[in-house]
Amino acid sequence: MVNSGGQLYTIEGVAAGLIILVTAYLVLNTTTVYTAGDSHISDMQLEILGSDALKMMDTPLNSSVTESPLQQIVRNDDGFLFREMFMRYTNVSGFGPKHDIQFSASYTYESATDASINSVPLNASRNLTGGEHAVRVTKWVIVNKKLPSSAPSEDRAVLVEVLLWRD
Amino acid sequence: MARLNDDAQWIVLMGFLVSFSLFFLALIINQSTIVGQSTSESVIEFPKSDVRDISHVIKEHAGNNGEIDDRVYHDIINLSIKRKGAVVNYTLNTLHYQPFDYTHNYSLIHYNNGVTIYNENWTSQ
Repeated sequence: MVNSGGQLYTIEGVAAGLIILVTAYLVLNTTTVYTAGDSHISDMQLEILGSDALKMMDTPLNSSVTESPLQQIVRNDDGFLFREMFMRYTNVSGFGPKHDIQFSASYTYESATDASINSVPLNASRNLTGGEHAVRVTKWVIVNKKLPSSAPSEDRAVLVEVLLWRD
Repeated sequence: MARLNDDAQWIVLMGFLVSFSLFFLALIINQSTIVGQSTSESVIEFPKSDVRDISHVIKEHAGNNGEIDDRVYHDIINLSIKRKGAVVNYTLNTLHYQPFDYTHNYSLIHYNNGVTIYNENWTSQ
């Protein structure tokens, strides 16, 4: 004769087994989604950090000067100053906790003589190899400059572009 | 027939509680990454700083008399489409109100990068 004792335990065991299986399925399913979401989140943070740094650089230091450091950098092709300021504002150098952020900066203008689009490199903390997962931040700057050098000196709108990535 | 054994009901109940709470925790973790992904995706897609930047640079350069600098106008429009993939257009105008002898500057800015369309109509007071 079949022993019918402990039926409640049996039912509980089956229910718990099902719940554990469903839970394990959910958890495993979650990890596969996670990597895709993760890169978006850090991209967003990097983009905001970079555009904030560029915005700070495009603010004149005090009310007595009208030219921002970024305008000065583009006007003088001063890649060294760009590197100093940008790395300090993104906490790559300076005091306190540091970020492992690499950058490559250039500015783009439209040639006044033949309407071609040209990019001039400013500075880079490391050369691009093609494997980086970089984000791009940009900033419009108005400078009085000869672009290209054969053109007359006049007010021009140039686009400062910075590629940012983490090691 | 054996009597139904109703011992240890508390243990059974606690067992159910723990497994159900684990189940709901897993559900929450499962949803949280999707929420984080779609939130940051929409933050990346929305060109907030681009729109602010273009509006800032146009107004900054408008100057006091409000006319368009032809060279800067072409720079902004051509570089926008070639380097940012965004269609940008703007007009700047000055209106002089004779009764009050007062000059208004106003600007119309249009921006479209295929995902976001932004139109701005600004008048100086």
